[in-house]
Amino acid sequence: MEAQSRPGLRPMTPPFTPVLLLGLALGPVRPALLQPVFDALLRLVRRRHPDILERMEPFADRLVCIDPIDLPFALLLEPKPAEPSLTVRRFVDPDEVHATIRGPLETLIALAEGKVDGDALFFSRQLVIEGDTEVVVALRNAVDGAGIDLVADFASLFGPLARPAERAAAAALDLAGSLRSGVETVRQALIGPALQSAQSQGARLAELEAEVKALRKAARRGLA
Amino acid sequence: MAELRRPELVCPAGTPAALKSAVDAGADCVYVGFRDETNARNFPGLNFSRKELEEGIAYAHDKGAKVLVAINTFPRAGEPELWHQAVADADRLGADAAILADIGLIAHAAHRHPGLRLHLSVQAAASNPDSIRFYAGRFGVKRVVLPRVLTVAEIAAINPQIAPVETEVFVFGGLCVMAEGRCALSSYATGQSPNMNGVCSPASHVRYVESAGGTTSQLAGFTINRFGANEPAGYPTLCKGRFIANGTASYLFEEPTSLNTLGMLPDLIKAGVTAFKIEGRQRGRAYVAAVVQAFRAGIDAAMAGRPLPDIDLDRITEGGRQTTGAYERAWR
Repeated sequence: MEAQSRPGLRPMTPPFTPVLLLGLALGPVRPALLQPVFDALLRLVRRRHPDILERMEPFADRLVCIDPIDLPFALLLEPKPAEPSLTVRRFVDPDEVHATIRGPLETLIALAEGKVDGDALFFSRQLVIEGDTEVVVALRNAVDGAGIDLVADFASLFGPLARPAERAAAAALDLAGSLRSGVETVRQALIGPALQSAQSQGARLAELEAEVKALRKAARRGLA
Repeated sequence: MAELRRPELVCPAGTPAALKSAVDAGADCVYVGFRDETNARNFPGLNFSRKELEEGIAYAHDKGAKVLVAINTFPRAGEPELWHQAVADADRLGADAAILADIGLIAHAAHRHPGLRLHLSVQAAASNPDSIRFYAGRFGVKRVVLPRVLTVAEIAAINPQIAPVETEVFVFGGLCVMAEGRCALSSYATGQSPNMNGVCSPASHVRYVESAGGTTSQLAGFTINRFGANEPAGYPTLCKGRFIANGTASYLFEEPTSLNTLGMLPDLIKAGVTAFKIEGRQRGRAYVAAVVQAFRAGIDAAMAGRPLPDIDLDRITEGGRQTTGAYERAWR
């Protein structure tokens, strides 16, 4: 993926998920073709969650790069309250943005929906942030505080047909879940033998460490 | 034997969505702060406008929960207006209590807002009966949040000496090992402190520098830690920095770890504690929901005499580790 291989940045290995496969498929697609999707998403967020931009007001002039590591593009967010923008870019130069948030797409979506805690993701190193920490913290808090529910937000686009749209979106998510499970099975099949070997080596290493520890203890007591 | 009193579960909320999560997950009380330097979690994008507080109080009261407003920083000399206004607004909007730290602000609140229930913030660092009795006797403080330095036995000894003043203790979340309200570490490095500005290691002064070997955290240009690529990380505070002394890199003050007392709730209930407080107004609503649910289940089980639930909260702890802190002083 080109978006996460920019110089000077610690590479993150994307998880083997349907999103990664989608990212491979999107590789040849020009960002300009995807831009209308993100324009619509931003309009939706502005309409349904105006408090996000209100909370971001002190940081209106900051540019934030949101980098899903399993997709071949990144997003450039400019949170100007009157004229915000969310631009799809193939490359983002670290010097042109104030901060970068990087992680797998599913993690970033879960964070936006408040399903996972941002600090916990950072503690467990599933999320990387660089640059201006203040604007990243502000964005995290603003988005978490908005109570985003992407399915309900998406369904709201359909007006009186919101209910059926919500059901359709839920069914699509179920399908994505099944696909995810299938991809996980493939992953296990591919790395299973290597994993088994690593586990047995790990167990052997633990045994050896225990033996060394016992020998050192005995040596200290003058018994060796 | 006297009947054990059911403790209140006091939960954090940095945003209206987190307040709803806390109430829906079973909080008895939610504590919040205004969007300014009057509270000790004055973080970017966090906290409540007056309108949000009014709506939050209505939501909580509708579900039978209380809202406490933390106004627990120390007013700047000669400029107490912002803090006075915060107390007045908390009272006007129907807060169930104000959590205060500064003795002058407490005197002001007691005098000007006699109907407002006053709690003493942990920032006041009142950790002995004489100190607590002073605040209660002079200003009518009803509850004291105890500093995180006391053992369960010490808390049990304090409670009967200060009755009817209630005690509130932290049961989960970030730990502060310094004398709270008096720590100057953040101020030394950044010029801003939790005591005066509501920020410990403000995000504006924090940088994470990524390299192939991992992440370096810096505070105001000082390198305070380096985490390997897969090593769990912690908050970028100086007290949790890893420093090289005598050629060895180690955590000189405190390791990145979270307090978790889920397994000792019955002991704290027996010690006569009135309220259990969860730290983390800066955390997301997923954290709030998970921790509140766990402690709701824990308190209910403890009061019913059932075994405590075995709930894994590792995934949301700092550094991926947990401790019972000073309550047990396991390091002794």
